[in-house]
Amino acid sequence: MVTPSPKASAGDIATFNVLHGFPEALVRGMRSSFLSDADYHHLTQCETLDDVRLNLTESDYSDALADSATMTPASLQKAAIEKLVTEFQYLRSQSVEPLSTFLDFITFEYMIENVMLLLKGALSGRDINELIEQCHPLGMFKESTMRSIPTFENSSRGYADLYQTVLVDTPVGPYFAMFLQESSEHRDGDSRNVLEEVEIEIIKSSLIKYWLEDFYQFAMKIGGDTSQIMGELLKVRADTNAINITLNSFGTPLNEPSMRSSDRKRLYPSVGHLYPAGTTMLIDVQDEDELGRVLELFPQYSAIWSIHASGNGDKSIDDAFYERDVQQLELAFESQFHYAVFYAYVKLKEQEIRNMVWVSECILQQQKDEINKFVPVFSYHSPWRDGKKR
Amino acid sequence: MSEVPPTRMNQQIFKAKKKAAEGGHKLLKKKADALKVKFRDYAKSIAETKSSMATDAASAFFSMTQAEYAAGNFKRKVAEGGMTARVRVGAGVDNVAGVKLPVFTKYETGATAENQSLGLVGGGKKILAVREKFTVVLEMLIKLASLQTSFQTLDEALKVTNRRVNALENVTIPRIEGVLDYISRELDELEREDFTRLKLVQGKKQEEAKEEEKAKAIAAKLAAESGKPVLARGKENDEDITAQYDADDDADVVF
Repeated sequence: MVTPSPKASAGDIATFNVLHGFPEALVRGMRSSFLSDADYHHLTQCETLDDVRLNLTESDYSDALADSATMTPASLQKAAIEKLVTEFQYLRSQSVEPLSTFLDFITFEYMIENVMLLLKGALSGRDINELIEQCHPLGMFKESTMRSIPTFENSSRGYADLYQTVLVDTPVGPYFAMFLQESSEHRDGDSRNVLEEVEIEIIKSSLIKYWLEDFYQFAMKIGGDTSQIMGELLKVRADTNAINITLNSFGTPLNEPSMRSSDRKRLYPSVGHLYPAGTTMLIDVQDEDELGRVLELFPQYSAIWSIHASGNGDKSIDDAFYERDVQQLELAFESQFHYAVFYAYVKLKEQEIRNMVWVSECILQQQKDEINKFVPVFSYHSPWRDGKKR
Repeated sequence: MSEVPPTRMNQQIFKAKKKAAEGGHKLLKKKADALKVKFRDYAKSIAETKSSMATDAASAFFSMTQAEYAAGNFKRKVAEGGMTARVRVGAGVDNVAGVKLPVFTKYETGATAENQSLGLVGGGKKILAVREKFTVVLEMLIKLASLQTSFQTLDEALKVTNRRVNALENVTIPRIEGVLDYISRELDELEREDFTRLKLVQGKKQEEAKEEEKAKAIAAKLAAESGKPVLARGKENDEDITAQYDADDDADVVF
């Protein structure tokens, strides 16, 4: 597909450690940096954010938080993400092909996010320094590339230039190319003003779709345990996106009959358990009942859907997806001789950061009833661990 | 008040003034009462709105937290986007007892909602909830702003009206009453002076008549004794006051 095939396979139980033993050892060592059940328990008991900070000094986050003078959920998030990025970049610097390409793939998601942010900011004429400040640090390009994105004029000609001179050189450039090509086919030729006319969020969803497909192909070619474990993770991710896109399109122009088969259909990834039978059915779905009927056919999603359909406010479909993700990622993290552990590490850390931000927001806004509504990572009390201590 | 000469005409003028002042006082008092009623109403609804707003705002901001948990940090995406206002605030005027109060009303511009596809790959429903909750908060905010400005304007108007009512009640009307009092006192005094004077004159006249009678009787007696009548004409002239009165002597006395 887009990315060239890996030069070598990841290796199996006998040969994996020759090239990738050290990075794997590193990431396994980071297993202990996750907050424990006791940490979470202490955090939820805090009365103020200073208490939170005090509790976090006992954890792996002490160094990351040492510099910040005042504690806010946003500063906590920023510090934690920076810590994650530092760790990730260290892993990246210790890796060799094809693991390094695999690690780059993980960052593409954030790059797409950043490009979209820069484009949108450029449309509304924001200051570039302000925009770069807000970009996700895991998806940074070269400084010069980032700075040149908002310099293009706000016209169809400008966008064509932008694509041809800047975006094409970035790792996510091919996805843009695919998007523009598909759009132009769809619109009988004229690709000039696609970037202007299509909503940014929809462009982003399309790019994410291409990224998922590409990543999936790459993982398949690596072979071995990686293709199995990573393939499963990405399939589920693709299905989650398809379900979410369908669900969240209700009540927006995307759900209009003409848009359903043209625009919404194109956002469904062509990988996953739902593809192709499920996504074909999703195209014609127009409300929640119909979506539920489609998902009933897929046992792994009907359980999640029933949480949403039962309609009690305790748990939303997002929470259910997160919970399922965490379970899968933990499993991926625990097995050996494959690359998915790195992906799982990043995603689980992200969940942990989300949890910390959630807890500190709850404390700040004094919403103690809701404080336990997060999905702890590697918790002994997870439903799938049955509460047994290892 | 002492500058006012105590005449009948001034009394009439001040009586008219008093009537006008009392009428004005009554009207202003009515206005002040109407304003006070409205003022209390506004104070009450401000308190109500504020207390319900506290919970609404808290839940709105918390829904934001929930959405960020589900959809990541989407605030900047909203902030970076170009925005056309979907809701605007219009200003109108409400009239309460002659006081013009500003009224803010929310109206839809008819622009379609932007960022509808926000959170497409996750958390879209939560973001929708945020949208709804903040719309409610915005409505309350506009209502509160309207109430608060009206409240202040009303407060100002009420103060002015009260000051006027009090000034009329405690200063103007008592002063007019004082003047009226003074005038009527002075007029009474003059009347009494006249009365005593007349009484005195009458007494003198009667005395004179008696003495004349007496003199006549004596004269008649003497005449009867001597047969010679007595002329008492000169004496009579001396005794008569009105005969001696000369209007030019008392030019400054006004009756």
